[in-house]
Amino acid sequence: MTFQSLILKLSEFWASRGCALQQPLDLEVGAGTMHPETFLRVLGPAHWSVAYVQPSRRPADGRFGENPNRLFKHHQFQVILKPAPDDVQQLYLDSLEACGIHPRQHDIRFEEDNWESPTLGAWGIGWQVMFDGQEISQFTYFQQAGGLELAPISAELTYGLERIAMALQRVDSVYDLEWASGVTYGDIRLREEVEQSRYAFGEIDLPAGEFGRFHRDLFERYYTLAGALLRSGLVWPALEYCLKCSHLFNILDASNSIGVTERTAYILRVRELAVGVARAYVGPSPDGATEPERA
Amino acid sequence: MDRELLLEIGCEELPAGWLPGLTRQIGEAMVAALTGHRLAPASPAETFSTPRRLTVRIARVPERQTDLEELVTGPPVSAAFKPDGTPAPAAAGFAGRHGVEVGALERVRTSKGEYLAYRRRERGRTTVDVLPAVLGGALRAIVFPRPMRWDARLDDGKGELPFGRPIRWLLYLYGGRVVPFTIARSPGALSGQVQDVTSGAVTYGHRFLTTSGRAGRSIKVRSFDEYRARLLEHFVILERSGRHDKIARELDAKARRLQGRVSQSVRAESDLLQEVPDLVEYPSVVGGTFGVEFLDLPSEVLTTTLIHHQHYFPVESDTGRLKNAFLAVINTEPDNERTIARNAERVVTARLRDARFFWEADRRVRLSSRIERLDTLVFHRKLGTYAQKARRLEHLAGWIAREALGASGEAAGQAALAGRLAKTDLTTDMVRELTELQGTMGGIYAREEGLPEPVWKAIAYQYLPAGVEADAPPSRAQLGGAALTWASVALADKLDTIVGLFAAGEKPTGSRDPYGLRRAAQGVVKVLADASALGLGNDPIDLSRLVAEACAPFADRLPGGTEAWTGLQLEEFFWERQVHLLERRGYRHDEIRVVAGLPWARRHPLGALLRADATAKARHSQEFQDLAALFKRVKNITKDVEDRGVPLAALASVLKEPAEAGLLTGMIDRWPEIDRALAAGRLVEAMQRLAQFHGAVDRFFTDVLVMAEDRTLREARLALLTRLRRAILENFGDISEIAADARPV
Repeated sequence: MTFQSLILKLSEFWASRGCALQQPLDLEVGAGTMHPETFLRVLGPAHWSVAYVQPSRRPADGRFGENPNRLFKHHQFQVILKPAPDDVQQLYLDSLEACGIHPRQHDIRFEEDNWESPTLGAWGIGWQVMFDGQEISQFTYFQQAGGLELAPISAELTYGLERIAMALQRVDSVYDLEWASGVTYGDIRLREEVEQSRYAFGEIDLPAGEFGRFHRDLFERYYTLAGALLRSGLVWPALEYCLKCSHLFNILDASNSIGVTERTAYILRVRELAVGVARAYVGPSPDGATEPERA
Repeated sequence: MDRELLLEIGCEELPAGWLPGLTRQIGEAMVAALTGHRLAPASPAETFSTPRRLTVRIARVPERQTDLEELVTGPPVSAAFKPDGTPAPAAAGFAGRHGVEVGALERVRTSKGEYLAYRRRERGRTTVDVLPAVLGGALRAIVFPRPMRWDARLDDGKGELPFGRPIRWLLYLYGGRVVPFTIARSPGALSGQVQDVTSGAVTYGHRFLTTSGRAGRSIKVRSFDEYRARLLEHFVILERSGRHDKIARELDAKARRLQGRVSQSVRAESDLLQEVPDLVEYPSVVGGTFGVEFLDLPSEVLTTTLIHHQHYFPVESDTGRLKNAFLAVINTEPDNERTIARNAERVVTARLRDARFFWEADRRVRLSSRIERLDTLVFHRKLGTYAQKARRLEHLAGWIAREALGASGEAAGQAALAGRLAKTDLTTDMVRELTELQGTMGGIYAREEGLPEPVWKAIAYQYLPAGVEADAPPSRAQLGGAALTWASVALADKLDTIVGLFAAGEKPTGSRDPYGLRRAAQGVVKVLADASALGLGNDPIDLSRLVAEACAPFADRLPGGTEAWTGLQLEEFFWERQVHLLERRGYRHDEIRVVAGLPWARRHPLGALLRADATAKARHSQEFQDLAALFKRVKNITKDVEDRGVPLAALASVLKEPAEAGLLTGMIDRWPEIDRALAAGRLVEAMQRLAQFHGAVDRFFTDVLVMAEDRTLREARLALLTRLRRAILENFGDISEIAADARPV
């Protein structure tokens, strides 16, 4: 099964189970959770089912194309089921079967792994799904997002597409994956990985210190803009600039441009934006008060 | 007639680490709820669990509640009636609340007078009617380390029902019949795919394995025996011990097939074999291998990668050398063993390849060049970076070696160097990836760089000891020639962390101790208490001096010296750890209270431990117990009297009566023998000699009136007793705490 047919199979499976197929967010994000189809839709009472691929950038995981398992950018297949159906685990297992993974032939397990995103003020309870000892998915019951308690509870299924494809194709290097017939993952992505890694670790033609200064400055500008957008009641654009800040923070972090103390301060500022976005999205509660943020 | 109660809460996979606690809790909660509902079981609860179920079976639960009869007390008779004899409002109201006339009330006599009372009788209901409330109460009573909300609620007025993971089915039988029970779902979540959970007579087997039909179908059962048997048919081993034994058996067999055995150190030190039975319902074991080239990695790296990250068991040869093989416990039947093993091998190889990359990259930068990088790692917001901590540790470790442990210049220099390098491994890729190897990795890299044993072992074991037991690692053998440098660094690191975080206002409160300060203090106390066993000499090490020195760098935030010791309540904080250590080593509470009476006990954990030990040995003699009882009188009568330090000999001219002269002479002539025994460390002998004073003290109290009219005489007698009090308290502690043995031994 090629990388692209894996995406097609999962899309088909979840579309047939009532999910709207969305498209990736056209911004730099670290995970599918940051897409408004997850971050905003899990808030509030409305039921919602959606699935999409999200290219996810983790600058600190960049390895210049040299490590067969670690990537600056990987692909997540993200499913949100709100509320979480009673048979959600079985649905997930069925989706694996649809991709050609037969549970009877393997050791598939749900091992405790709770998820938390301090920058999004979000956390959930769940598992990492282990496939013969390899983590292939994160399975989370969202409890809180943007600092708000959630009801109903959504299930978030995040498939690590590269990992699953490597297991199915039995290759040891991600770059050897067959993306499409006759086209490898390396053909499509290797050069991008090398160059993005060099950028993320600050190996660019700028005077020392300038790299960090430049990105800090961008962070400040986007942060200010996000605040203005929030004050103007524009939730979607405000979330986008909050996510841009989050990405800049990741770049600053990967390139060792911030110390640990400062790091905490940056996380808190992004979180503050995320909390503002979440509150603005749900609006004031019926009695006029905004919900208190819970730590 | 008693009947069988069977409850199974079917869950999505519960965390393995929770299962032992939850299994205990659900049994206790059911028994408590039954008893609370007047259905006390006639047989004990048997409890079981797998990742997907919590099960309670009670073989004999009565068929009907016991009848209730209780007397509810109302108003006093004196206030219950008006002067004309008609009921006062208090009485009428009380009777009304219970739906009877005042005339139907009884009168009861109490110590406070006569009261009206209502005799409430309630006939016991049949058990089936009560069992729903029993389960509701039990579900509410379970406490989870981290509960989750899952849109569920109970109809008991308390609303939402959080649980560890979503509950997907309930098997609830009494005498083979279903007890009706419903967990409702919140209106906001209810839909075609989100439904109430209602109890039934069915369970579910293994997710993927079955002998017939489709796996995961419901299985109808009527009794526990049938339940257990049907589950086994459907690949669920209900008993944890059954899963454990199957794993242990197959591990041995598969290890032999790989020409090795399961790593003995893993068996001894890690709790992997205790954890895996709670990760699976039907375990088996597959073996895998990895490239021999990875055996060049330090064994700690290999085992940590396998154990902590994969829950796999390392395999070693009969001589204890690691082999390039591992064993994985899986939750299925291994008829497809090679596929699973091959995938597991790929994961292990990828992880080891990462580890080897770190191992090679890390060694290109010497630890001493890493100190600069510690500048970017914040130790604590208010306390600066790890680079600052490294400077503090360099000084403090050197100081402890020299001043507290009497080290030579060379050894003190090594301790200081180890202190300076102790945290540098935090900047290595290996520790960033495998955080549980902090310290260990620094030690290994230091060894690779050719630093001497006293330096690298001090770094490697800096986070130890982790336990309070006398044999908790590192052992004297492990330490070799590094005992002194290790103790210096281990103490310096812990003291610096404790004192610094206290200064930053991060003192632990209640169960909140995010920085692990209690554990750190426990380590300090353990090192000092076992100082001689660890080869650090027999001289008492004064903890308050160490604390004072550790406080110096925080002078702007902290009161200095002894002021920090008492003012920050560090004295109390460390004493609690000492008490814990003494309790864990089996000393009784009264023995620990004896030691607490020593004015120096809090500063000298080793001395305190030795005194507790001597007390435990001496306490059984009749003389000692007599003296302990008499000592209480000594303390009482001298309660407000200070020892003014009058020479005992000067009292001889005043204390002439035989009983008082006898005690005085004893103090002058025989006490020096006690001092000699104490100085030589012969504590039990000292205690025995002390106990011999019981006769003299007894005679003194029998024959002599301490509070004599004559002031000179009175003061002399009090001075003698005060001296005795001080001598006992300072050398033996408050022996009056020793309660007499119930039976003479």
